[in-house]
Amino acid sequence: MLQNLSYSKTAQQSLVLAALGIGLVLLGLLSITIGAFPIPFGHAVSILLSQLGIDSGTFTEQEANVLWQIRLPRILLAILVGGGLGVSGAALQGLFRNPLVEPGLIGVSSGGALFAVIFIVFGSSFPWLGRIFGSFSLPLVAFIGGLINVMLVYKMANQGGKTDISLLILAGVALTALSGALIGLAIFYADEAALRNFTFWSLGDVGGANWDKVKIAFILIFFPSLLIIKQFRNLNALAIGENEAFHMGVDVQRVKYIVLFMSALVVGVGVSMTGTIGFVGLIVPHLLRLSFGADHRLVLPGAFLLGAFLLNGADLLARTVVMPAELPIGIITAILGSPFFIWLILHVKKLNS
Amino acid sequence: MLDAQHIQYYIGNRPIVNRASIQVLPGELTAILGPNGAGKSTLFRLLSGELPCKQGRITYNGQPIKGMKTRKLASLRAVMPQHSTLTFPFQAKEVVSLGLMYSRPKYPKTIVKEVMSATQTWHLKEQLYGNLSGGEKQRVQLARVLAQIWEIKATPRYLLLDEPTSSMDIAQQHHIMQIIGQLKKRNIGILAILHDLNLAANYADKALLLKQGRVLRQGAIRAAMTPENLQGVFDYPLSVQSNGPGAPIYISSLPSSATSSTNYTYKLA
Repeated sequence: MLQNLSYSKTAQQSLVLAALGIGLVLLGLLSITIGAFPIPFGHAVSILLSQLGIDSGTFTEQEANVLWQIRLPRILLAILVGGGLGVSGAALQGLFRNPLVEPGLIGVSSGGALFAVIFIVFGSSFPWLGRIFGSFSLPLVAFIGGLINVMLVYKMANQGGKTDISLLILAGVALTALSGALIGLAIFYADEAALRNFTFWSLGDVGGANWDKVKIAFILIFFPSLLIIKQFRNLNALAIGENEAFHMGVDVQRVKYIVLFMSALVVGVGVSMTGTIGFVGLIVPHLLRLSFGADHRLVLPGAFLLGAFLLNGADLLARTVVMPAELPIGIITAILGSPFFIWLILHVKKLNS
Repeated sequence: MLDAQHIQYYIGNRPIVNRASIQVLPGELTAILGPNGAGKSTLFRLLSGELPCKQGRITYNGQPIKGMKTRKLASLRAVMPQHSTLTFPFQAKEVVSLGLMYSRPKYPKTIVKEVMSATQTWHLKEQLYGNLSGGEKQRVQLARVLAQIWEIKATPRYLLLDEPTSSMDIAQQHHIMQIIGQLKKRNIGILAILHDLNLAANYADKALLLKQGRVLRQGAIRAAMTPENLQGVFDYPLSVQSNGPGAPIYISSLPSSATSSTNYTYKLA
């Protein structure tokens, strides 16, 4: 279909990316105005322009506060976390050479969550952590948890250069279950203050966004995502096979470490800020591959944009469906994602060709 | 020159490749022949750099493979394994252009078109790799591998092929061997594991007979592929016929009940 259009491949790719980018910006502008406290579009634009020092219209103080302190950080955080989930899902699928891989499925998210909970509950026993890393402590600890799990899963599932998919899923399920049990154990030992912190974190969603979180997410999600996107050529080569990629000049080991490390960072930090959000990393790369082909030159940056779009859309739904209350965003992504996952399992043979 | 000196590879205490020495010269096609389990694939993987060579020494144009950057190695040699499977829906031409990922030639599109035309896959360029037949897949892979060393350069390059014709029909086999033969003019040395003795005898310049990890014989086709040598390698009587130097070589075998002597000759009508 699209392949029959007369665009050369790269022109088509730029077009798709531009369309995704524009869609994301439009959705962002829409999300700014919609909510329990509606802000007229004209006012929203004026508020944004006034921050740049351009006086272009009237708005109330309250509108400016809601937009600037609540809505904008929330949208930006959804963009960063969703984009990170999308791009790491795409890269992990490429690395494992398997379309079923998803950060949640192979234990990265649960590892991040476990370590985040441990930090929340027992963090007061390690005051030096907070002294050194400040507000970066929680995201960094979550990253380590994600990294441990992804490395374990990789070691277990990878035998002789080939990834055994049943081992991969089983290892992911086992580690997710273990992490869940340990989270329960940590909560069991939590004191009242820690418990309160944990409750706030687990209900976190993107609703808990503030500019501090956005800044941390920008540093620890956006830049690692760029490093992952830079691996597009190597991931294309890996699609033919690890040996073949080596023959073509790819330093396979290095690519593995970059993708595993950066994905754990991106997902771990995301989890530490919003709790676990499933399925974005699974759906997004597939939608792109099915529509525009498997070239990672498009799939990786496209997955960031589409992941950002999807999570933003889910967040918009989450905070408008039962207005003025809010649904947890994970519910929305799971409702959309689970049927898709089932469809995927049933069609995985076709996708494997 | 691709030069391997006394290379050894053990699995446990069992030698898979046993003090093998091999030379591949640019402009020549060397065929590796031997029964199953002779260590052909292991030797192949050692030479390609896929398996680390712990004992012995392998050099490409005088530079040892040990410690060589992956990318540098890829500019000197291309490798075609027996099977490659793709997980994601790539088009044939996307697979082929992967061969150019690090060489960054001036006219990548021209090279892709040339190698795909040469392997008769240009008409498949927009097709998804997964939908191709076995023979088509193999030709697309060959095109990818050729793209890696297609540009004409002063430095000799090498092409390692593991049974490049295994899923092809007879016409395609000859066609592929002719393409491989033309590469010799491009200052490329070729090493191919071949199962078909007739293809090897009529297209290769040299043969290397491998048995139980040892190189039994290496040399020009007519000197190496004698009935005695071949029987020694394959443990089965084979007849080799040719009507003089330059004429085609026929190698044939018969059911063992029909062979009385080790040097059974079979007259072609």
